[in-house]
Amino acid sequence: MDLGETTVLVGPNNAGKTAILDALRIALTRRWGQRGTGFSEYDIHMADEATDPKKSSGVRIELKSEERRPGEWPDTIAEDLGDIVQLDLDGHRSVSLRVRYAWNAGTENFEPSWGFLAADREPLVGVAARRVNFERFWRYLPVFYLGALRDAGDEFSARSSQFWTRLLKDLHIPSDLESRILQDLDVLNEQLLKADPRLGQIAETLSETTSIAARDQEGELDLRMVPLKTWDLLSRAEIILRNEPALPWLPLRRQGQGIQSLSVIFLFQAFVDHLLHELYAPGSEPVLALEEPETHLHPQAVRTLWSHINALPGQKIVTTHSPYFVQHVPFRDLRLVRLTTEGTEVRSLPASFFVSFPEMDGLVDVVAQSGGKLTYEPSSETLTVHGNLEENFYRKLLSCCGQDERRAELASRLCDLRAQSSLHVTDDELQALETYARRMRGEIFFAERWLIVEGQADYLIVHAIAHALDYDLDQHGVSVIDAQNNGSPAIFAALARALAIPWLAVFDGDEKGNEFIKQIQNRGFESTEIQKRCRTLPKGDLEEQLVADGLGPELRETLAGIDGENAKNLDDESLLHRLRSSKTKYAAELATRIRCNSELAARTPAAFRDAIEQLRGLA
Amino acid sequence: MQRKAVEWNDGPLLVLAGPGSGKTRVLTCRVARLLEESLDERFRILALTFTNKAAHEMKTRIAALAPGGEERAEINTFHGFCAQLLRQHGVHLGIKPNFEIYSRTADRQAVLENALRHQSDYYERNDLRLLPRIDALKNLLVGPEQAPQYLLSKNGGASKAVERIAQAYQLYEEELHRSNALDFNSLIFRACQLLEHPAFARHYQTIYRYWLIDEFQDTNTSQYALLRLMAGDSFRQVFAVADDDQTIYEWNGANVRRLRNLVTDFGCDVIQLTENFRCPPRIVEVANRLIVYNVQRTPSRRVTEAAKSASQNSRPQIQCRVFPGDEEEVSGIAQEIAALNPQERKNTIVLARNRAMLETLKAAFSNLNVDTTLLGRRDDFASPQMRWMVTCLKQINRPLDRRNMAALNEMFCNFAGMRVEPEDLSSRSETNQVTLLAAWVDAVREEEPSTLPAVEAVARLASGKMRLFDAVNEIIAFFDERHTAHDDFKDDVSAWRRIEREIRQVRGSVALDQFLQEMELRSKEPAPASGAVSLATIHGAKGLEFDTVYLIGMAEDILPSWHSIQKENGNAAIEEERRGCFVAITRTKQHLILSRAESYNGRLRKPSRFLKEMDLLNLSSNDALRNGSQPTAPMTIV
Repeated sequence: MDLGETTVLVGPNNAGKTAILDALRIALTRRWGQRGTGFSEYDIHMADEATDPKKSSGVRIELKSEERRPGEWPDTIAEDLGDIVQLDLDGHRSVSLRVRYAWNAGTENFEPSWGFLAADREPLVGVAARRVNFERFWRYLPVFYLGALRDAGDEFSARSSQFWTRLLKDLHIPSDLESRILQDLDVLNEQLLKADPRLGQIAETLSETTSIAARDQEGELDLRMVPLKTWDLLSRAEIILRNEPALPWLPLRRQGQGIQSLSVIFLFQAFVDHLLHELYAPGSEPVLALEEPETHLHPQAVRTLWSHINALPGQKIVTTHSPYFVQHVPFRDLRLVRLTTEGTEVRSLPASFFVSFPEMDGLVDVVAQSGGKLTYEPSSETLTVHGNLEENFYRKLLSCCGQDERRAELASRLCDLRAQSSLHVTDDELQALETYARRMRGEIFFAERWLIVEGQADYLIVHAIAHALDYDLDQHGVSVIDAQNNGSPAIFAALARALAIPWLAVFDGDEKGNEFIKQIQNRGFESTEIQKRCRTLPKGDLEEQLVADGLGPELRETLAGIDGENAKNLDDESLLHRLRSSKTKYAAELATRIRCNSELAARTPAAFRDAIEQLRGLA
Repeated sequence: MQRKAVEWNDGPLLVLAGPGSGKTRVLTCRVARLLEESLDERFRILALTFTNKAAHEMKTRIAALAPGGEERAEINTFHGFCAQLLRQHGVHLGIKPNFEIYSRTADRQAVLENALRHQSDYYERNDLRLLPRIDALKNLLVGPEQAPQYLLSKNGGASKAVERIAQAYQLYEEELHRSNALDFNSLIFRACQLLEHPAFARHYQTIYRYWLIDEFQDTNTSQYALLRLMAGDSFRQVFAVADDDQTIYEWNGANVRRLRNLVTDFGCDVIQLTENFRCPPRIVEVANRLIVYNVQRTPSRRVTEAAKSASQNSRPQIQCRVFPGDEEEVSGIAQEIAALNPQERKNTIVLARNRAMLETLKAAFSNLNVDTTLLGRRDDFASPQMRWMVTCLKQINRPLDRRNMAALNEMFCNFAGMRVEPEDLSSRSETNQVTLLAAWVDAVREEEPSTLPAVEAVARLASGKMRLFDAVNEIIAFFDERHTAHDDFKDDVSAWRRIEREIRQVRGSVALDQFLQEMELRSKEPAPASGAVSLATIHGAKGLEFDTVYLIGMAEDILPSWHSIQKENGNAAIEEERRGCFVAITRTKQHLILSRAESYNGRLRKPSRFLKEMDLLNLSSNDALRNGSQPTAPMTIV
C-alpha cells in the first residue's frame, strides 16, 4: 500500500482499516526488553474454527520507507542508518523492515522476529541485524496513535498521556522564578489557613499522628491548601476555553465531546512542534495513525478538518466514516478498504503500476525509448509504467522476452500489467471530478454499488421506483450518480472499475445517451460488459419513455399541479415540451407519486426497474 | 610532529613514518579525537588496516580513549569492509547476503575443477595452475570480459593460451556465482564494481566522513582502485600512514610508487615522523645505513632519529653469530634462547626469510621442550575435529551444499573412523524428507555412538534448540574430555576462542552466516602460549615489536633470496628484500641478534650483502666493546 503525506482509509466496519493502523504501530513501536509485542495469537489468520494457528506461516508486515528524490533525507539519517540503508542506482535511499509473528517450534511459542531487508526483499544479515539499528530506525519514524475512542481526559492527563505528560515534564522554569513562586505559595497557604480558624484546629488534631508514629526526633504536620512542589503545580495545568468573549471560561473536560476530540489532534501538533526533535532525533518524521477525526464534530467542522489534518507535521494515516471529511481528500490519497472472500482488499487510484520483471536483453532500450513512461529498477527487478501501458510498448516489452524459457510466465505478467494500467485515471480527469463532483464525491466512496444515470430527474425517479419496489437505495448502499452534472459518465465507470465498485448505468435512448455508451467503450470496456451494465431507454429520452410507457395521464396531472389546470389537455408533443422545460419539478412530483404507489411503479420504464432488480445481487 | 598529525583536521594527509615512530598511535589518537569532538554527530569514521589483528587492537584502544564513540568507528580490513559492503548492497550484483567466502586454496581449486569439468575436452587436470593467473587478473581488476584484451596487450601473441585463461576465468566466476561464494580477490573486485555507480560512492562518502588507512605502503592495485572509486572526484578526507621503506608486499601488488600516486591523486600534504621510539640508537643507525642503498624511495625522505636512549642493560644492542652449517645455526640459536628465563623468552622473536627455516627451528625447540608460537596467517584450523565442527556449521548455514557435506563426512572419518556413504546419505535424506545433515546425524547415531554427544550438539543447533556458542562449547568440551584430540586441537581451540572474542567484540550478537563470513576472513593461528618463543617470517612480523629479535639466515641466496637475486628487474626485487631486512631489524626494542651459517643445505653461502651494507661484517665485535662489557653468550666474530 502506497502511503503518501496523508492517506485516508475508507471502508465499512470490520473491513480491516484498524488492522492496517495496528500493523504500522506494531512494526514501528517495538521496545526491546518489554513484555508484549503488540501481536496476539488472534492476529494469525484462521480460515475456520479448526485451523491450527501453529501451522500457519503467521503474520508478516513489511514497511518500506523511501526517498521521493535522491538526497531528500538529511545526511544525518544516512549516517545514522548507514548499516541498513539501501540504494537504487539512481541514488534513492530506502529502508525496509520486516516483522514476522509465527509459531517457533524450538521455543514452543508464538514469537515475533524483526529484520531489515535488502533491495530484493531478502533479509539483510551482519551488522544490519544489530539491535541498535532498530532503535535508530524507530527514532526517525515515531508513530503516534489516536484511536477512535480517544478521550481528552486521558490525553491531557499529567501522568499518562503520550503528549501532554512529556510536554509538561519538559518545561523549564528558571530556578529563581521557581523559588519565588514557591515562596508565594507558602504565603498563600498561610493566608488561607488563617482565613478560617477551623483549618488551624484541624491541623492540630492531625498532628497527633506524628506523636504516635514518632521516632527519636519529633515530626511535624501541616495543612497544605496549595501545591507543595513545582511538579504538583505544573501537573494541574489544564486547558480552559470559551467560544465567545462574553461566555465564562470552562475547562476543556467540561466542553462538548467534539471540542475535546478535536483538541487532542492539535495537542499532537503542539507536541511535534515543541518536543519531537528533542525527544527523538533531528530529522525524525512522526507517523500519526488517526482514527475517525470527525468524531462528535458538526459536518461544517468536519469539512474544514481535512486541511488542518493535511497540514499536521509528518505522515498521516487516517480512517474515516465521514463523507464530509472525504469531500476534500484528493482522489489519489484515498484507499478503499473492503473485506472480500480473499481477505482485506485495498483499492486506490494510483498514478503508476508495477510488475516484478527480470532484467532482459533489450529491456533497457525499451525503457529508454519510452520517454519516462516506463522505468526499471534492476535491484528489485521492478518494472513500472506511469499511466496506461500503450499497446506499442506492450508489444516491445513482449519481444524482450524473446526465447527466454520463462517466456510464458513473463508474458502473462506483462498482460497483467497492461490490464492493471488500463485502470489508470489521469490527473486531468481527476481534476475535472474535483471541480464538478465535489458535492457527491464524499458520498460515493462509501457506497457499495453505483447506479449511473444522466440527470437529476432520473435520480429522483430511480430512487422512487426502487423504494416502491421495496429496494430502498440508501438502505442498500447504492449511490445514484447523475453523471451529467458531475463530469461525464465514462469517468465514473472508470473510477468504479479501478475501485472495484459494482456499477450499472441507464441512459436516454437518444444521440447523447449513445454517445455516453461510446465513451465508456473507449475506456477499454469489453462490449459484453457494457451489455451487462448499461441500459438505454428504448423510446428516446426520459420524457418520451415515460409517455410511451403510458404515464401520460399522471404526467399531465403532475404538470397541472405545477402550471395550472390547462396542462391536463396538452397533446403529447406539447406535454413533452413542457415536461422538458420544468424537468426537476415534475420529476420530484412524479417521484412522490411513484414512491407510495406500487401499481404506478410497475408501469415505470422497464430499464429502470430491470436495473434495480439487477442491483440486488450485483457484485 | 605526532601531535600535528593527530590534530590534523581537514584535507588529505600522508604521514610518512619510520618504524617505531608511533604510526598506529597517531591513527588511533586521531580517530579517538575526531570521535570525541563530535559526540552529538552521527557520521562515522572508516579506518582500514592490513590485518584483523591490527583492527582488533585499534578498536580496543579507541574504545578506551573515546568511550561511547567507538560505535561510530568502522575499523576493518579492506576485505572485511568489502564483505560488509557486499552483504548490504550486493543484491545489485546478484550476490545474496549470506554468500560464503572461500579463503582456502583447496576450496578455490575445487571451484575451478568443478567449473572446468564440463569442458573436459578442452581443459586438463593440471589446468588448476590457471588459478594464480586468474587471481592476478582479478587483483588488477581485470574481469573475464576484459581478460583477453588485457593479456594480449601485455604478452602479445599466443592467443590460444590467452583464450584458455580467459575462458577458465569466466567459468570459474560463473561457478563461484552458482555457489553464492566469493574468494578474497572477488571481495575487492565486486565492491569496486558496485562503487562504480556514483550513488554508492556518494553513500559511503556521506556516512564515513573521515577515512584513515594504515600501512598504506602495502595497499595493492585493487585496494587503491577501491579507494579512488569510493572517493569519486570530490572526497578528500583521506588520512594515510605509510612507510615506503617497509613495503614488503610488492609480490601482492603493493608498489612503492603508490605513495606518490596518493599524494598527486588526492593532493595530500605530507608530514614526516622521523623519531624512532622503539629501537635503541645503534639499531636506528644501522637501519638508516641499510635503507639508503634503496634507490626507489620517497626523495624527500628524512633520516630517522633515535628517540630512545641506549638501555642500561649490559647486553650489547647488536650481536652477530656465525655457524658452520644451517643445522648448527638452528640448534645453536634454539639452545641460546632455551637458556633464557620464561619472561625473556616470551619477549623474544625469531625471524627468518622463509617458513621452512622456522619449521626446523620449531622442531629444535620442541626437542628442548621449549614452547613456540608460529605467527602468521593460517587459512584453516589444523585438527580434524575443529575442521569437522566448522563444516557442520557451514552445512547448517547452507543445507543444500553437497560439496561441504562431503568434506564434513571426510573430516569426521579422520577422527571417528566412520563415514556415511554418499548414496546412503542421499537416500536417507530423500526417504525421510530431511536435510542432508539431519540424514547424516541419523546414520551416525546408528553406527558410531561413541561420538554422540558432539553429534547431538550439532543436531540441536541445526534444529534451533540450542544456541550457536552453547553448541560449540559442548562440542569442544566433549573432545577435550576424551583427550583423543590431536595436539593441534588445543591450538585450534585457542584460535577459535580468539576469533570468537574478536567477532563478538566488534559485532555483538551475530547470526551464523555472518559469523562464518567473519571467521573465514580471519587467521586461524592460536593465541601465543605464555612463555612461548614467537617465530615468524619477515612478512609475518609486520607491525610487531619484541625486546629481543633474532634474525637468522643472514646469507646470500637466503636474505636476499635466490629468486630476488635471479630476477631480471634489476634492483627492484633486491630492494624489496632489503626492505624486508629493514622491517625485521626494526622490530627490536632492546637486543638484535643476527645469525648466519657458512653453508646451507651443504652449499657455501656468502654473508648477506645487507650485513655489509649495515657495516656489521667487521664492526660487530665493537658492539660489545662499545657497551663496555663482554658478550654473555659465546660470540663468533665474523
